[in-house]
Amino acid sequence: MAAPDAAAARTRRVQAVGVGRRRSATVLWNLVGLGFALVMVFPVYWMLSTAFKPANEVQTFTPHLVPQHPTLDNFRSALHAPNFVTDLKNSLIITLFSVLAGLVVGFLGALAIARFRFYGRKAMIAVILVVQMVPFTALLIPLYKTLNGVHWTNSLVGVTVTYLILVLPYTVWMLRGFIVNIPKELDEAALVDGCNRAQTFYRIILPLTGPGLVAAAVYGFIQTWNEFIIINTLNDPAHWNLMAFLASNQTLRGTTWGPLMAGATITSLPVVVFFLIIQRNIATGLTAGAVKG
Amino acid sequence: MKRRIAVAAAVAATLLGAAACGSSKNTTTSGNPLDGKGKTLKVYLMVDAQTGWKDVVDAASAKFTQATGAAVDVQYQQWANHLTKLDATLAGSDVPDIVELGNTEASKYVFNGAFADLTSKVNTFDNNSTWLTGLSGPCQADGKTYCVPYYAGARVLLYRTDLFQAAGLKAPQSYDDLVAAARKLQSAHASDPKFSAFYLPGKYWYAAMAWVYGAGGSIAAKGGDGKWAGTLESQASEQGLQKWVDLTKTYSKGDPTKDENDQDAVYAQGSSAMLYGNAWESGAVQQVHKDPNDPNSAMVDTKVKGKVATIPLPGLTAGQGMPTFLGGSILGVAAKSGKKDLAAEWIKDFTSTASMTALLAKGVLPNSTALLDQAASVKGLEAAAAAAKNSWFVPNAPGWADVEKSNVLQQMLVDVVTGKKTLDEAARAADAQIASTLNS
Amino acid sequence: MHAVRTPPRVADGLSAAPARRRRREPTPYLLILPTLLVLAGLLAFPLAYMTELSFKRLTLRDLFTGGAGSWVGVANYSKILHDPFFWTVVVRTIAVAAICVVVSVLSGLLVALLMQRVSGWVRVCMIVSMMLVWALPQLVATQVFTWLVDTDWGVLNWLIDKVVPGVDFTNHSWFIDLWQGWSVIIALVVWGAVPFLAISLYAGLTQVPRELQEAAVVDGAGPWAVFRSVTWPILRPLVVIVTTLSVIWDMGLFTQPYIARASKPELDYYSLAIYAYQEAFAKSNYNTGSAIAVLTVLLMIGVMALYARQMFKIGDAD
Repeated sequence: MAAPDAAAARTRRVQAVGVGRRRSATVLWNLVGLGFALVMVFPVYWMLSTAFKPANEVQTFTPHLVPQHPTLDNFRSALHAPNFVTDLKNSLIITLFSVLAGLVVGFLGALAIARFRFYGRKAMIAVILVVQMVPFTALLIPLYKTLNGVHWTNSLVGVTVTYLILVLPYTVWMLRGFIVNIPKELDEAALVDGCNRAQTFYRIILPLTGPGLVAAAVYGFIQTWNEFIIINTLNDPAHWNLMAFLASNQTLRGTTWGPLMAGATITSLPVVVFFLIIQRNIATGLTAGAVKG
Repeated sequence: MKRRIAVAAAVAATLLGAAACGSSKNTTTSGNPLDGKGKTLKVYLMVDAQTGWKDVVDAASAKFTQATGAAVDVQYQQWANHLTKLDATLAGSDVPDIVELGNTEASKYVFNGAFADLTSKVNTFDNNSTWLTGLSGPCQADGKTYCVPYYAGARVLLYRTDLFQAAGLKAPQSYDDLVAAARKLQSAHASDPKFSAFYLPGKYWYAAMAWVYGAGGSIAAKGGDGKWAGTLESQASEQGLQKWVDLTKTYSKGDPTKDENDQDAVYAQGSSAMLYGNAWESGAVQQVHKDPNDPNSAMVDTKVKGKVATIPLPGLTAGQGMPTFLGGSILGVAAKSGKKDLAAEWIKDFTSTASMTALLAKGVLPNSTALLDQAASVKGLEAAAAAAKNSWFVPNAPGWADVEKSNVLQQMLVDVVTGKKTLDEAARAADAQIASTLNS
Repeated sequence: MHAVRTPPRVADGLSAAPARRRRREPTPYLLILPTLLVLAGLLAFPLAYMTELSFKRLTLRDLFTGGAGSWVGVANYSKILHDPFFWTVVVRTIAVAAICVVVSVLSGLLVALLMQRVSGWVRVCMIVSMMLVWALPQLVATQVFTWLVDTDWGVLNWLIDKVVPGVDFTNHSWFIDLWQGWSVIIALVVWGAVPFLAISLYAGLTQVPRELQEAAVVDGAGPWAVFRSVTWPILRPLVVIVTTLSVIWDMGLFTQPYIARASKPELDYYSLAIYAYQEAFAKSNYNTGSAIAVLTVLLMIGVMALYARQMFKIGDAD
């Protein structure tokens, strides 16, 4: 009986540290966790609730937590607002292409930095870090003049390419962490099996970097989906993205909160769904590349 | 039907061609500058036109297209950050041909070579001799004209007829009347913590400066040496400011850090008796569009529907109205535009007497004093038309838009109303900022 | 019961062979070429132009009419460096960023630890709520937050009035006092940052082999000691990375204060990024605006240099 006793004692101590589970403690932690989830989600709820309120319920001195007369008017209004649908389309196109391009270019760059030693490698790493620190608000005029020089203002191409700069450094950095973690032996085994270098990259490293690509895609998606200052300056309303549309949804006659929140809901929903689907990949993707030092 | 239009167009084209031949004989090589076939004018108008009077824009464009053959591409801009975009655009080569600007923003572009000189064409615009000076003033630089007045707005006093009646009050005839009414109303509604006898948010500088000018003060003045100096610390200016601060602090529950952006929604809650706003705000507080993005959608009544009247705001000097800020817009032709003559032609159509008359029905004031009397007979515009006759305007300095955009006046007002600075300290700080911005 | 689990995949990386040294191979240069082209092609010219502007005096007239402006040496820099307001903004930006980073990374870590302790369904609730927050565009989040604390329409004032007895928040404005105002903004930044941090760190925690923790407990270690000796060493590189990212993001703080102050920020709410933007676009001083931007980059490199060694170790580790 001595052995089970010792095991039980050990289990108890393990539980006391919180690695295992103790009922009352778990209940307490559950409450804290639920409270946290509620506080986090409240602003999101407020957006949703506002989106369903009729015009005369949106702004009241005594807030209504639940819409008294729920309506879809705001969604209709948002969808009919000039440029909303166009800008939604623009958002999708710009995001898709800049993220894809970021992944392709970034994967190649990350390969170079992770698998090779070459002249200027350290400088490259430094540049990639520093580029992320440039305040883009101060670059607007130079950026405009540059793109104007090649007639890329007022076009989706110019913005897509500009967003590539926003996405690329972090993508390279993150994917590098992933590739470093793929054992060299795999490459070598593949080379021995008669693969050439390109095939090694394509057949061995690329699949193993999968979660990293997902994570980088998510990051890039958030960056480009959320940007509005650059595109607001570079393009006309017909070539804006949704964020620029939402940012300027105010006339001199005040902000139209109802349609704004409805527009925001429409904007966020696909992202939420997308996130929930690939949730597991995001988590592993974000860390697997990083837990390594 | 179709044929008839085609015939009419052909006739018009022939007539135009014939008329143009006479004047362009010498320049046959360069062609008629007003022959716009195959050309497209790019026009930046502000969003107000889109939501308020798109039909007027379209009518003017149709007339223009019929006459010249050129197409018109109107792009509606949002006010938020529109100058950031415009600065960047004008720095490039692909510029819009026509740009609308707020009249207080104009001088920055007029003085810095962004607009084409229209002096030689001024006489061809309707009502050019009676343009409102608050609009045409900012278009002038060195005796030349660089832009054309578009429309104006004047601020009036909105008051709740039901509350005034319940308190046994009449519409205030003098400033003292107004303060007395505010006092009586505020104490009558002491139980409502949100009640403002006169709702004035702290950053409402268009209002505060009306008090400054009403007291005989001003914002800035150009000295004999050509240098600008802020004049908010002058005795008259400070007196006016003090009166505005007293009124705000005593009779307004408005947030001292807010501007007038949502004052209509606040007033519509029914807890404010008076409001200083544009003429059209009288409608905006009483009814809201079910769909704010659709000007044709059904209207929903607010709590104050049918209980609001407008009069010119009584001034600090007995027998005079408070000088109103004459806000509005102007239209300029970009200096980098390759279609300047066509652009001027479109502006001519868009600011014609016919267009201005159409605008009157939309609740905004026309660009000319000659048409103001006509405005006074439009329902809802009477008070505004009367108020517009006594107006003030921001200093006509090249750098004025920058003073506005860097929020110098708002900062001053917030500092005073929140008690962070005394009025004199805040006025001096603002004057220093104004001088450094206008003289840089 | 205590069968040794397969070690997580990351552990393999620790034993990976050192990189081959191929100094003369063209492959790496070909691979890095697209990255280099994108950065050089799109960023080099604007960056150079920005730097050039910071040494020039370019008036609006020059900008509109294509004038070249004139060189003024370091005049723009000396003007800024002698302006006490610039230093106020520098100190404020660093202080706010420091608070944001510390609070958000700590909160992220605590939430991650909490996620380990709650039941599965609660964890799902937490993850879903964080995903919703994460998916909410920053701009929208800021607009909603600003609205929640609004003087006239806000839920917060109403809630405080209801819940806390004896206070009157009816017409309370959160942005009069800059400490309160910045607290709101910092809360917003932290709220927006926690999902990314907590989810990453939680994923990192799952990589900590349970056996190691249990063994430490058996050896008599308390919870803190287990965390320090077992969890932390494995989590540390990840924490360094998310902290670095947070520093970069929070030092460039723009959207939250700018939108929260209705695109018209008072001087009290200037961050360096806002200062550079206002200087260039509100005051049309493109030169001083550019100079502020250059100084900001230098400042951030300086901040980063504090732990550059750490960064390079991670950036270079293999």
